[in-house]
Amino acid sequence: MTPIMALARFRLAGYVASHRALQPLIALLALLAVLYAGSIPAGQEIGATADSAAMLVPVLAWAARGLLDTEPDEQRSVALSALGPKELVSALLAAFASLLVLASLAEAVLLLRLDASPTLTVLLTGVWLHLLSATAGLALGALTSRPILPSPAVSTIALILGYLSMLVLSMAGARWLTVPVMAWMRDAHHGVLLSGLPLITVQSLLWPAIGLAAYTWLRRTRP
Amino acid sequence: MRIASLSFRYGRRDPWILSDAGLVLDAGDVVEVTGPNGTGKSTLLRLVAGLLRPVRGSVEDRPRVVGYAPERFPADQPFTVSSYLRHMAAVRRVSTDAIGRWSERLGMDHLLGQRLPDLSKGSAHKVGLAQALLAEPGLLVLDEPFAGLDAATRAELPRIIEDVSARGGIVVVSDHQGDLRAFPGLRRCEVRDRVVRELEPVAEAGETALTVLEVAVDPSRASDLADRLRAEGCTVHITGRITARVTREAAG
Repeated sequence: MTPIMALARFRLAGYVASHRALQPLIALLALLAVLYAGSIPAGQEIGATADSAAMLVPVLAWAARGLLDTEPDEQRSVALSALGPKELVSALLAAFASLLVLASLAEAVLLLRLDASPTLTVLLTGVWLHLLSATAGLALGALTSRPILPSPAVSTIALILGYLSMLVLSMAGARWLTVPVMAWMRDAHHGVLLSGLPLITVQSLLWPAIGLAAYTWLRRTRP
Repeated sequence: MRIASLSFRYGRRDPWILSDAGLVLDAGDVVEVTGPNGTGKSTLLRLVAGLLRPVRGSVEDRPRVVGYAPERFPADQPFTVSSYLRHMAAVRRVSTDAIGRWSERLGMDHLLGQRLPDLSKGSAHKVGLAQALLAEPGLLVLDEPFAGLDAATRAELPRIIEDVSARGGIVVVSDHQGDLRAFPGLRRCEVRDRVVRELEPVAEAGETALTVLEVAVDPSRASDLADRLRAEGCTVHITGRITARVTREAAG
């Protein structure tokens, strides 16, 4: 096992053993209970998938922030002394892995609530959109984590405002200015998501990529 | 390893902690960093270890394997000592045999099954030292390593430092209490007023320049005064108690 993977495993183990992992899990279960109170009728599968992916972003961001902040600051220094700047890669990998677990759980519940058997297209679209959601959550969680925003209050407000800005900007049609979460839902419900998937993928990955690059740059002076 | 023209402050509006500091560290060097509280000893150590980036200047040729033991080990983690050290050994890519070796040497065999949050300060400090030593570091940075240690480990730590130095490792230690003063070949640096200044070795300063001062003080203030004098670079031994009457007679 490489040092990066070993450190990611250590962080995941610490996160799971602490109470922090439960908070976003409970929020996710509550969200799933609301979303899937009724079953999903045939023909609405992709729309429901897009709704799930869009609404998961803040929960996933919270989970990512929770994982990154579980470790005491001095322990992060110890990790930094062992791995150097690769410590950051390990942190992001561990956070992304935890988001994949939550996103898989959401996807599994969605599939269980479908009236019709899911086609391969529905399955792959669901996986793809939830990966985009996890990437957006990872970037937002990382940018609001303790090394970047030390105050818990400021960090929580920034996380909420970050998600709200995604909603507002994408609702206004500014697809290139944010992660277009509203466009995922709108296109899915209008049956045009699949034909425009490559473009919407690029639009959805652009800001998380910029966000993660900013996080990496800021962490140079914020160990 | 060379520290050249190093300046550091935590933020643009913050005061400079270090300014134009320079230091050359050769293989096998053991350096004691001293100075009053809050002058930047820990900051210097973190810069040496690569945990902070210099705002100006550079740290060049840092050894590849760095061991760092913080002043306060972060014990608030949901692991037992053993599982924590096993994770750290995996991160360092060293065999878990090293855990047994270091736990025995640091006198912490009996702690392996305990949870980190349950440890006393001194025991947690040993875990911090163990993780720093696991990978045979080429640069070992210890922030106040003697604080809270029991007598046996206090006596063992200089021997451990000597071993690291003997195989070519650089050891940088901040030490308020002067436990390393008798270490042969010890280099001493003082951080004061944003400057890192190399002091004369203790052995050379010793026989000719030292004065022994007897101070009588209320027992409740003894420890505090001793710490303050140590911070000033004095060697302090608290020898025992005398009565106030004797003190007055001595004064008269």
